[in-house]
Amino acid sequence: MAALRTTSRLFAATRPVFKSQTRAMATVMGTAKTGVVSPSKTTTAKEPAADADSKIKTFHIYRWNPDEPSTKPRMQSYTLDLNKTGPMMLDALIRIKNEVDPTLTFRRSCREGICGSCAMNIDGVNTLACLCRIPTDTKQESKIYPLPHTYVVKDIVPDLTQFYKQYKSIKPYLQKTTPAPNGKEYLQSKEERKKLDGLYECILCACCSTSCPSYWWNSEEYLGPAVLMQSYRWIADSRDENKEERKAQLDNSMSLYRCHTILNCSRTCPKGLNPGKAIAEIKKEMAF
Amino acid sequence: MASIVRPTLLRQSCLKAASKHAFSTKPAATFPAINRPAASVLSKQVMPGSMRVAAFHASGRKLILPPLPPNEAAKVPEPSPSHGSYHWTFERLVSVGLVPLTIAPFAAGSLNPLTDAILCGAILIHSHIGFESIITDYIPRKRLPKTRKLFDWGLKLATVVVGVGLYEFETNDVGLTEGIKKIWTA
Repeated sequence: MAALRTTSRLFAATRPVFKSQTRAMATVMGTAKTGVVSPSKTTTAKEPAADADSKIKTFHIYRWNPDEPSTKPRMQSYTLDLNKTGPMMLDALIRIKNEVDPTLTFRRSCREGICGSCAMNIDGVNTLACLCRIPTDTKQESKIYPLPHTYVVKDIVPDLTQFYKQYKSIKPYLQKTTPAPNGKEYLQSKEERKKLDGLYECILCACCSTSCPSYWWNSEEYLGPAVLMQSYRWIADSRDENKEERKAQLDNSMSLYRCHTILNCSRTCPKGLNPGKAIAEIKKEMAF
Repeated sequence: MASIVRPTLLRQSCLKAASKHAFSTKPAATFPAINRPAASVLSKQVMPGSMRVAAFHASGRKLILPPLPPNEAAKVPEPSPSHGSYHWTFERLVSVGLVPLTIAPFAAGSLNPLTDAILCGAILIHSHIGFESIITDYIPRKRLPKTRKLFDWGLKLATVVVGVGLYEFETNDVGLTEGIKKIWTA
């Protein structure tokens, strides 16, 4: 698969006809050469003649290109007519990428809040762009940043390697040695299953972890709300037989106890889950 | 790292393969009569080099490059309950215990040297744990090992000094509760 991808890139690069076409689409130019351009003047593409009832809204978007590592990150402004844009922030971003500036880079996949790809910081809150409505107040300008305190790969794409490594470290799968009594499957009562509600829905978008100040300062050692909630999802599972090992893994000063109940995680979760409560439950189980 | 190297490496290997053999996996010189028609169709005039390369790879040549290294799990530290669960439980017990200890002398209106001493001890432990937590949060051992050591010992020293001070205040002066009362009404 990787071979296919790279060859297609090669294919595009060696055909000058296509390249010139893509260049023609890009309407934002010259910013790299002239240095910092004031955010309100960077977009050269204008909306076609504004209707009387058009709702023009400005979006300021964080830009950084790894191909120019010496250039500082900057904010770039785009204006869109909300009447021609979908209701969500992701619709606006996709429209900017399609029609205004194809160099804008962001992750997105499902556009319905189930994949967690489009997690970003919109107007100061970590959320999924596909679940965040564009505020219809056109005087208010929207600001879009990558997830806070992450390494940026490009534009609004954060590097989540450490997050995934930590997720792997909690062994997020059922650990059981005794065979199922009926020889087929491990059964759960309705009450036992109910304990997993509010835990299993997590899509690992990293909104909560990157909103946690403790995780900002100590992401090398502190696991962060998302991973801890998944840890609790397996501690709370009646079928799992490795609870003590799971708890012992958290029983040190850094992994779990850097949580100071700030509750930014519960506040920001775009899926409406409560990682703060899950962490409190782990602490409670480990205390007595 | 491997991901950075991959595209360029692949490109070079592709171009090399394309320029030498185009499509054919057999040596071209051995059967010139059979190979000629195929070679003319797929020659450079008909298709650009990049397309030949793309077709070459789409048709089943695999394992050009080794797979990327897997993402290893983050390192799990050794369990130490004295820094983990016991520490947390103790911290919470002290915090909860401080509430009645603080209220009792003022509510009762009378002074008891024993409760005063317990209150002093609890405050000392409580603030030691609190400051320790701040140091753990903001001075990571990994990045600033020397500063961390300095602050750790500084905190221990400060706790001892405050402890001695409180002892002096209790034994040679009016005591903590009486002192606060006097300041309050002063």
